[in-house]
Amino acid sequence: MELLAQAQQFISLKGWDKEGLSETKQQQQKDLSSREKFIKSANAGKILANKCLRCGHIMLETIYYCEKCFGNKFEPVEFEGTGNMVTYTTQDVAPEGFEDTESYAWVVFKVDNAPFRVSGFLPGVKSAKGLSIGTKVKVSSFSPKHGLLLQKI
Amino acid sequence: MKDKVCVLGAGSTKYGKLNDSIIEIALNASKDAIDSAGITPNDIQAGYISNVFGVADKQVHMAPVILSNLGIPHVPGLTIESACGSGSVMFREAYANIAAGFYDCVLGLGVEKITHTGTTQSTTLFSYCSDFFYEGGNGASFPGLFASIARAYMTSYKANEEDLANVAVKNHENGILNPKAHVQRKITVDDVLKSPVVASPLKLYDCCPFSDGASAVILCNEEFAKKVGRPYVEVIGSGRGASPAAVQARKDITTIPSTVDAAKQAYKMANITPKDIDFAEVHDCFTIAEVIDIEDLGFFPKGTAVHAIREGATRRNGEIPINPSGGLKSKGHPIGATGIGQVVEVFEQFIGKAGDREIKNAEYALTHNFGATGASSAVHIFKRVG
Repeated sequence: MELLAQAQQFISLKGWDKEGLSETKQQQQKDLSSREKFIKSANAGKILANKCLRCGHIMLETIYYCEKCFGNKFEPVEFEGTGNMVTYTTQDVAPEGFEDTESYAWVVFKVDNAPFRVSGFLPGVKSAKGLSIGTKVKVSSFSPKHGLLLQKI
Repeated sequence: MKDKVCVLGAGSTKYGKLNDSIIEIALNASKDAIDSAGITPNDIQAGYISNVFGVADKQVHMAPVILSNLGIPHVPGLTIESACGSGSVMFREAYANIAAGFYDCVLGLGVEKITHTGTTQSTTLFSYCSDFFYEGGNGASFPGLFASIARAYMTSYKANEEDLANVAVKNHENGILNPKAHVQRKITVDDVLKSPVVASPLKLYDCCPFSDGASAVILCNEEFAKKVGRPYVEVIGSGRGASPAAVQARKDITTIPSTVDAAKQAYKMANITPKDIDFAEVHDCFTIAEVIDIEDLGFFPKGTAVHAIREGATRRNGEIPINPSGGLKSKGHPIGATGIGQVVEVFEQFIGKAGDREIKNAEYALTHNFGATGASSAVHIFKRVG
């Protein structure tokens, strides 16, 4: 199922769905919410963004109007989910839902070749000492429980 | 603006772990404010309530319940939520309604009760104030969010953990003089540095406590204040600002745009500059927040606040006293009440009720309070009258 979903997304991003996919399939793709689309890309290790068709500004998929010109027509742009850490923390008191994770860092990273930053969950970090600003990370998947999962490269 | 706006009365419960229900806490502060103003509930034409987690004490739609128990069930009210900035955001709405001439006299009440939920649940509830999809949902707590801001600041401006600790030491020094403060304990830099890590690089004493408590003010127009004949304080500047909700969306993580914008508006309205302010109550939910606040409010150039703090510029006898009440760090942070608690401090300072923590000869004071990591913010400027 996952592969099929990824394939559909790929087809959509290439614009092939407009010619080759049935109307029903096009509708299904359109029916995904912006967060669902973001999550789908994250599961493929990517960060999904939108490019404003009016001014060309690129922003995260989850933003509904262009931050620059307030246009609302976009084309999807996918970026590799890699980047460098801008800041981070490790926490000794975790919110509910994260107690099962032995240790992790919450990380903000600048997405490579994109004009924005994204935050994520980096598991397996016992101490902040093992990290530094600039550390390279990549998106591994999206977990319903822990959000955007990252790994160190 | 049609009318000048005045603070005619103010009251607070003690901040800390309180056993009373959220409504009783709210009523106690309201009664103190009404008594201090020298009015009766019958003079109140509207009730503005700020609260975030009423649901945790089984009470939402709080305004009618509070107003009914003040004996004025016919008076309209509303409840305002803007995370930790709820109090100041509510104060602005109350201010605007008096200034516009809709009312002569209103109650502004902030209240919170959270400590009964315990640390893990409180941490979780607070994380709902973040941009949850990107922050709380990825495991960030509020100490974690501010820790990430602290790390960015420390890296950009070569500040260290001792610099942050100096904020905590100073605010605890002030809080000892405030009988209503949650944590009345003198601490040293060493105590801060040796306290357990909550979210690296922030330690326990870099963080404000979870607190219960309520603060209330009576706001009115000048004509009403003069008619009552009690001491009052004039509100001469009011500003509101907003920032991207998520830390990731800020161009510069070491500044809070909503503070900068709100402050500019408030200074302009008051027709004064940061140099004219004699003391300020600012939002020090974490030590790093106070460092950033006092730069964003224009008291110190960017990147220099830690040096000024180290030299004592923000102590009660310094160039610009910051948080004479003890701030959120020592006085406590009942989040719905905090912004109003700051106004209570200004009122008490200006009418000579601040005791040993009084800032002598102060004429202008500023309050600054924000929600979450600064997504919403309000700044107000006050002038002593008489």
